[in-house]
Amino acid sequence: MLYKIAGQFKTTYRADQALYPIREDAWLLGVILVLAWIVFPLTASEFAFQTLLIPVLIYSLAALGLNILTGYAGQLSLGTGAFMGVGAYACYKMVTIFPEMNLIAALLLSGVFSAMVGVVFGLPSLRIKGFYLAIATLAAQFFLIWLFEKWAWLYNYNASGAIQVPNIDLFGVAAAGPLASSVTQYYVILAMVTVITMVVINITRGNQGRIWKATRDMDIAAELIGINLMRSKLMAFAVSSYIVGVAGAMFVFLWRGAAEPNLFDIELSFRVLFIAIIGGLGSILGNYLGAILIVALPVVLNIVPEWLGLDIKSATLEHLNIMIVGTLIVGFLILEPHGLAQLWRLAREKLILWPFPHEGRQ
Amino acid sequence: MKSFTKLVAASVVAAVTAGAAAAESIYVPNLSYRTGPFAATGIPLMNGQRDYIAMLNARDGGIGGIEIEYDECETGYSTEKGVECYEKTKGTAVVTQPWSTGITLQVLPQTNVDQIPILAPGYGFSPMSNGETFQWAFNPPASYWDAASMILQYIADGDMSNLAGKKIAHLHLDHPYGKEPIPLFEAMAEEHGFEFLPIPVGLSEMQNQSAQWLQIRRERPDNVIMWGWGAMNAGALTEAVKTRYPMDQFIGVWWSGHDGDLVALGDDAKGYKSISWSAPAPDAPVMAAIQEQVIDAGKSDVGADELGWVFYQRGILISAMLAEGIRKAQVIHGEGDIDAVQLRDGLASLDFTQERIDEMGLTGMIAPFSTSCTDHTGHSGGWMLEWDGSQFVKASDLLQADRDAIEPLEATAAAAYAEANAPWPMNDGC
Repeated sequence: MLYKIAGQFKTTYRADQALYPIREDAWLLGVILVLAWIVFPLTASEFAFQTLLIPVLIYSLAALGLNILTGYAGQLSLGTGAFMGVGAYACYKMVTIFPEMNLIAALLLSGVFSAMVGVVFGLPSLRIKGFYLAIATLAAQFFLIWLFEKWAWLYNYNASGAIQVPNIDLFGVAAAGPLASSVTQYYVILAMVTVITMVVINITRGNQGRIWKATRDMDIAAELIGINLMRSKLMAFAVSSYIVGVAGAMFVFLWRGAAEPNLFDIELSFRVLFIAIIGGLGSILGNYLGAILIVALPVVLNIVPEWLGLDIKSATLEHLNIMIVGTLIVGFLILEPHGLAQLWRLAREKLILWPFPHEGRQ
Repeated sequence: MKSFTKLVAASVVAAVTAGAAAAESIYVPNLSYRTGPFAATGIPLMNGQRDYIAMLNARDGGIGGIEIEYDECETGYSTEKGVECYEKTKGTAVVTQPWSTGITLQVLPQTNVDQIPILAPGYGFSPMSNGETFQWAFNPPASYWDAASMILQYIADGDMSNLAGKKIAHLHLDHPYGKEPIPLFEAMAEEHGFEFLPIPVGLSEMQNQSAQWLQIRRERPDNVIMWGWGAMNAGALTEAVKTRYPMDQFIGVWWSGHDGDLVALGDDAKGYKSISWSAPAPDAPVMAAIQEQVIDAGKSDVGADELGWVFYQRGILISAMLAEGIRKAQVIHGEGDIDAVQLRDGLASLDFTQERIDEMGLTGMIAPFSTSCTDHTGHSGGWMLEWDGSQFVKASDLLQADRDAIEPLEATAAAAYAEANAPWPMNDGC
């Protein structure tokens, strides 16, 4: 219908292998980028920035990191929240020890710390798989939270045990801390997320991505065709934890402004895992769709009755909200077990074939 | 000419809407938690807060003739939801009532930019008492450090030298809230020569504290002080009964004195104490007014047996402090429809004299205190409440915190906070 592939000829192999071989897809991406880079920041209110745009981007990035590990390399992890914490605490230590440090550099470097921690906790993956590995990463989750609580050096011996983001300038503009404006923070996050997403798309489409997929689909076969499983798995843990760590640093520095250790508790890990699963494992787009469903939808549902002029008690609304979101999650998973990304993929194919009937999944 | 008519019409419309807006109410949101793991303690507090405002609206038509629009934004005690609520309400609200140390921490630096007062009665940072540093934050009538000091004095029977050689355990939630009094306890332990033993309870161990109580059994402290919240209180009390720890040596902070936690234990928990800046007074005139205006009118959610609960009545007091702040602000600025900046002046000049307390119908519920530009707490002192098997009763005269010992610590902590968050705006006008 909207897609008209007739007349779009490919005359080179390069064009055939392009990221967006169909012109409409490229346009769609262009529209989304224009919305994200120009329309939203110009029109959004403070509330929209703080509760919709910024959290959706940060959670998408965290889910993207997890998706590399779980969706592409097939290694289940329940330690995402703790790895985000490693990124956040590393960033906090760096900016308090070196106040002159550039914020972007600090954010990017904090990922290195979580990558190192991720590799250490990824070592069991060489011996165990599936649920057993999930339990091993769960150990990382509990151990790291315990460390954040007990190692007072991490939070500069603050009496309350929490970390508080100081005011940090980026090229003369306040970018983190209470003085920073939401627009600035949004642009920093958006730039980071855009760049990291592009890098990840390229990694997963390239050699490394294929190695991961082979590891995921059948590790014995992968080993037989000459893939070094140890390198493949540890690489997945490193890249995944790096991205998760950067997301964690942005989570605290560009959004929350303060954090106590239990912020990075298992609930956060589950939340990111749900985003990745509902969005679609092994998909880039899915992380964004999942984050919109899990992070943004409840916020929107909370303000709908107010728009409609309905007078519902806040607590009742919260209960309704949990029920609606829960039903939607179950509903989407029954409708399409492979997540929202697959749902979009099917819809797109239907649009391409329209008006001829689409025979469902292949 | 035509455009001129349009302009006139437009300005008339604008003037009318502006007039309508001016006659509107004062918006007072509360970041409540009636859902989630802490709902059991949240609900009676929120009910008390809501019912007091509803009573004012029904009896007096609001404050100074302006209706108070009380609204709740549900957080479920989650910091993330709390920030969402803060962003949602800050545009029109005159105050933020964050109701969790996590949310307070997050909102505190923002209030300097947004210019909106935080009202955190009996919680939040103890150094918030320092009004020069924390110009937008108020924690009347007593801070956690006050509570710690009062508990120590009660244990020492008024003479701090009695503490020498004692061993005092601090069973606390391993969270900013539970860690809050530790600096004071440590300073006091050093000064008065008692042994201080902090015993943290992780958020995941709240319901099963066998490890902590094993430690208590082994160490045999002379007293156990508890900084617990939500499920942790009931868990600790159950364990204390199980391990036969003497209840009269077990003292909680004011958030650990919730009737709902103790009802199930009944006589077994007899003798348990909790320091409190509020005392239950079922016969206070304000209770009769709420009964008549709100409960009999069917506008309240509170159960008949919950009216005497410490937490319900504390909720009433919290709203009473806010209402008094609004009234003071109206007097200072000579107008009814005050905004957030004006409310700050009201909250900084609270004056709960005994006459005013009686006038408001709060007789016996709270001790006199007053706030100022430099002192945002007021330091009313508090009573030791004791569980008699079915309810909390006053077990001591009014205790006062040792302010001379606390003030230098507060000043240091406030300065450290301001330095860590530089550039931090100070209120030099005090």
